[in-house]
Amino acid sequence: MELLLLGVSHHTAPVDLRERVDFSRRGVTTALGELSVRPTLAEAVVLTTCNRAELYVTCEDPVATVRDLAVFMSRFHDVPKTELAPHLYTHTGPDVVRHLFRVASGLDSLVVGEPQIFGQVKDAYATASEERTTGALLNKLFTSAFGVGKRVRADTGLGEGAVSVSYAAITLARKIFGSLEQRDVLVVGAGEMAELTATHLRSQAVRSIAVTSRTRTRAEALAQKVDGHAVTWSELPAQLLTADIMVTATGAQTPVINRTQVDEAMRARRNRPLFIIDIGLPRDVDPAASDLEQVFLYNIDDLRTLVDENLARRRDQMSQAESMVSDEVESFQTWLRARGSIPTLVALRRHFEDLRQSELNRLEPKLNGLSPEARSRVDEITRLLVQKLLISPTERLKNAGDEQTAAQYSEVVTQLFGLAEPLAGETTSTDEHTSPPPKTKTPVTS
Amino acid sequence: MTILLLSLYVAAGVTYGMHFARRDAGAGRLASATLAAAALMHTFVIGMRTVEVGHLPFVGAPAAISAFVWLLAVAYLYTEVTTDERAMGVFIVPLLVILQTVSTLSDRVIEPPPVLDSPWFAVHVSSLLFAYAAFALACVIGITYVLLFRELKSKQLGFFAARLPSLQVLDTMNGRAVGVGWLFLTAGLAVGGVWLFQLQPETADPRVAAMTLLDPKISVVLLSWTVYSFELYARRVIGWSGRRAAWLSALGFSIVLLNLVPVGYFLTKSHNF
Repeated sequence: MELLLLGVSHHTAPVDLRERVDFSRRGVTTALGELSVRPTLAEAVVLTTCNRAELYVTCEDPVATVRDLAVFMSRFHDVPKTELAPHLYTHTGPDVVRHLFRVASGLDSLVVGEPQIFGQVKDAYATASEERTTGALLNKLFTSAFGVGKRVRADTGLGEGAVSVSYAAITLARKIFGSLEQRDVLVVGAGEMAELTATHLRSQAVRSIAVTSRTRTRAEALAQKVDGHAVTWSELPAQLLTADIMVTATGAQTPVINRTQVDEAMRARRNRPLFIIDIGLPRDVDPAASDLEQVFLYNIDDLRTLVDENLARRRDQMSQAESMVSDEVESFQTWLRARGSIPTLVALRRHFEDLRQSELNRLEPKLNGLSPEARSRVDEITRLLVQKLLISPTERLKNAGDEQTAAQYSEVVTQLFGLAEPLAGETTSTDEHTSPPPKTKTPVTS
Repeated sequence: MTILLLSLYVAAGVTYGMHFARRDAGAGRLASATLAAAALMHTFVIGMRTVEVGHLPFVGAPAAISAFVWLLAVAYLYTEVTTDERAMGVFIVPLLVILQTVSTLSDRVIEPPPVLDSPWFAVHVSSLLFAYAAFALACVIGITYVLLFRELKSKQLGFFAARLPSLQVLDTMNGRAVGVGWLFLTAGLAVGGVWLFQLQPETADPRVAAMTLLDPKISVVLLSWTVYSFELYARRVIGWSGRRAAWLSALGFSIVLLNLVPVGYFLTKSHNF
C-alpha cells in the first residue's frame, strides 16, 4: 500500500478555481461515498478549506490512482480536466506524510501559522472515519499529524499572537486609517473566521463592533464574545454608512453585498474611506465594488500580498517548525518500516517457538521423569532463551535505518531462517534444503 | 557662500534618497542633519544679506525664491520633527535643490525702488512665501498619498506602503497644510490689495500701474487661490478628501510654481523688481 495525495491549494490555484473545487459545496460525505467505491484506492480522507482541496488516499498503484483521482475531481466538480490539470499537485510516500504534517502545523497555510487549519484537518479526518473510509494507514497518518500540529504550536511561536488572515487585515487597516482607536467595525457573518478577525480588531481597541448575521442568535453570541453589539440583518445598509471597517465572512453561496449597495453607501458617507475585508469563500462582496473611490476591498487572495511580511517575521520559528516536522516524518517512516517488517518478525518468532516446541516434544520421554515444578522451569528457561535470542534482531528489524535496509534485513532473515517455507515438522534438517528466493519482497507497507 | 549653500542642499537631497531607498535610520538622521545644516546656513546667508542691504532680501524673483526655499526647508524640518516622518524629504528636497539652483544662477543685488519702501512690503511677501511653502508641503503630501493609495488599491503593497504613514495621516496633513497655506495666501493677497489701493493714486511707477487683474502674476495667483479655495470647499462640503484633494493640491502648487519662476521671471509687468 502506498500513500498518495492529490490536490489543489492556494500555492497552485487562484481563488476562482478553488471556489469551484471546494468539496463542501456538494458535501464531503458525498465525495467520500463516491471515492469509496472506486477500485483503485483503499482508504480516503477529503480535506477541504478555503485554501485547499486535497484527497489523501492509500492505493496499490499510485500512477493509475493519480489518473483516476484527477478524473474523479474533474467530474465531481464539473471542472474540465484540462482546466484543472495544471493546478493539481500529487505526492506519494514520505512526501504525503511531510505535506500533511506541514499542513496540520500551519506551515503550508496562506499565512503561516494560522490555527484554523488544524481544526479543519481534524474535521476532515473525523468525517472520513465516520464514513469508514479510513484504515490503519490513514488512521496512523492523521493521528500523527495531530500530534505534530500540537507540538509545533506548543514549542514554536508559529501559531502565537496574530492570526494569519486577520493579522494581514489589521496591517492593512493600519495603513489606511493609522490608529484604529476611533474606528467602527461591522462584522457580517458569525462564523469562526468572522470571530477571529473581530477578536483581533477588538485587541486594536476599535471604538465599536457591530455584528450581524442571518441568524440573530449567532450574531448575539459573537457580539458578546467580542464585546460588541448585535444588529439585525435588515440594518446592514444603515450600518454600512457608519462603519469604517467591514468584515464579511458568511457561508453564503452568492455575494450578499453588491456594488450598488456599496456605491450608495459611499455617496451617503461622502467618500469616507471604507475598508472591506471579504474573507468569505465564495466571496461575500461583489469584487466590482473595488472600483469605487475610497473603497478598499480585499479578499482572502489579496491578503496573500501581506504574507511575505509575516513570513519574514516568523522565519525563525518556521525553520524550527520545519525541522520538527522533518523529525516527525522520520519517525513516521520508521513506524511504517517497522510495520513492514511485522510479518517477518511474526514469522521469525513463530519459527523459534516451533523449534522450541519440537525440541521439547523430542525430549518428552526424558523430561517425563521430572517433577511438574522442574518441568515448568525447563519450559520457562527455553522460552526466555528464545526471547533473549530474538531481542536484538527484533529491534534491528523495527528500526532499520531506511526503507531499503529494512527490506534487505527482512529478506536476509527470511532466507537465513528459511521463513518462506513451512517448518518441516519433526525434521531438523531444513537448512540443507535450497529454497527459491521469495518471489516478493516483504512489503514495506502492509 | 551661495554655492556652498546649494551644495549642502544637494547633499541633503542625496542623503534623503539613500534613506528612502534603504530605510536605514542612520541615513535618515544624516539626511535630517544635512538639511538642518543647509537651512541654518541659509538663515545665515539671508541674515547677512539683510544686514548688507538694510532690509529683508525679498526684492526680485531670485531673492524671493531663495527666501521661499529657506521657508520650505524650515517648514519641512518642522513637520519632520513633529510627525517623526522622514519619508517626505525625498520629494521635498529635490524641489529645494531645483529652486535654489534657479535662484543662485540668476542672483543679483537689487536696490529696492522707492515704492517698496513700506512696512506692507515685508508682510505681503513673507505671508505669500509662507503660503507657498505650506502649499509645497501639501503638494508633496498629496503626491505621496496618491502613491500609497495606488498601492493599496492595486493590492500590491510594497515600496511606499513600507515607508509612508497611513492614508488617513497623509490626508489630514494635506488638509491642514492647505488650510494654513490658504490663510496666509488670503492674508498676503489682501495686504497686497490694500497696499496697492493706497499706492496707485500717488505713484508714477509703471509697474504699479500694471498691477491689474490682467497682469499674469496677479491673475495666476488668483487662479491658485481659486483652486485652493475649491479644495477646502470640496473637502468640507462635497466630501472630496483623499485622492481628489491630493490632486487639487498638486494642481494648485504647480500653478504656484508657474507663478514663481516663469511668470515671475519673464511675463509679469507689475512684479518685475
